[in-house]
Amino acid sequence: MAFKWQEALCTSKTGFFIMANQPLPLSQETLAQFNRSMSTEPGASGPPRRRLGSISTRRSSKDQSKDQPHHRPLFLRSMTLPSSESSFLSPTVSNSHISMGKRFSFAGWHQGGRVSFSGLYLQQPIQEVYVENTYRMGPEPGCRFNASRTQQILQATLDSYLEGVCYSPDSCSQLCQMLADLVLSKLKDVNPPRYKVVCQVVVGQSGKQGIRVSSRSLMNPNTDNYTSAVFHNHSLFAVALVHGLYFE
Amino acid sequence: MEEYHSGDEVAFSPDDASNVVKELCLCVFIGQCIEGIVGGVDYSQNKVNQWTASIVEHTLTQLVKQGKPFKYIVNCAVMQKSGAGLHTANSCYWDTTTDGSCTVRWENRTMYCVVSVFAVAIAL
Repeated sequence: MAFKWQEALCTSKTGFFIMANQPLPLSQETLAQFNRSMSTEPGASGPPRRRLGSISTRRSSKDQSKDQPHHRPLFLRSMTLPSSESSFLSPTVSNSHISMGKRFSFAGWHQGGRVSFSGLYLQQPIQEVYVENTYRMGPEPGCRFNASRTQQILQATLDSYLEGVCYSPDSCSQLCQMLADLVLSKLKDVNPPRYKVVCQVVVGQSGKQGIRVSSRSLMNPNTDNYTSAVFHNHSLFAVALVHGLYFE
Repeated sequence: MEEYHSGDEVAFSPDDASNVVKELCLCVFIGQCIEGIVGGVDYSQNKVNQWTASIVEHTLTQLVKQGKPFKYIVNCAVMQKSGAGLHTANSCYWDTTTDGSCTVRWENRTMYCVVSVFAVAIAL
């Protein structure tokens, strides 16, 4: 693949290439050699880069941390390279120029990204993640929703969180929501994989009134289960219901 | 207690079209369910068991009749009105694109009734 070296430089909009717009006397042999090397190593500019030592571009503000620490700014190195070298050295010079040209893209250099000869950044296609079929019909033998362990966690959470708490109409709504989130976060740790969790918490002021909380669900008794816990002190009561549902 | 309206239903905003549960129009017939079972009756400690059982059973039956691929959880809390406060909250670990919930508050002169329905999608 032949390419127009000078044209590529001129069309680039970076400041570096303004400096390198001086005509480079590349012989046809050099060009052919380079083309061959490029065809054998598509997109790889590792060795020439290493020869230069530190080439890095920071065209975009992101990915700052991904760059290796030994890389130094590009333009400092490039100025030391003579533009008119002998034919022996020119392949490496041209190679490094090419690599710098490749890396110096105004679209932003991405680690391992592919660029065209003109230095334009080629968009990587978003690779879809294909998940293999597990051929699994149900949860693994040891990985079911453990009702007794969940009940212990639930009761312990309620007891520890509500010990000595007094009912207050302003703060109890937030307390209720916080309890529900707290219970969910604790259950997420012990939750077996592929299980969805539904948690409801009812908090009320302890008085002379009667209250009844009931629950009915349509679920698979082989894989799904539920548990509940009740806390009661002199000023408030709390009921927590947790259902674990298997999802394929 | 916070403001409660007799027969008031809590529904999702109609703009949120991604919620599948809304398509079931739950809230309307949950309110009708409750009205049919405890509407116009005063709170009674003896009967509250069968009330709550009837409410959840009736609601669940109506949901199943829809024939949608969901697992359902129906929770019902009936509390006597005595000036005490009541709060409910729920948090769920599920797929928000396919699963959803609906909570309906109902009250009459002597009691409050809060019914929560959770619908969890199953893969078919």
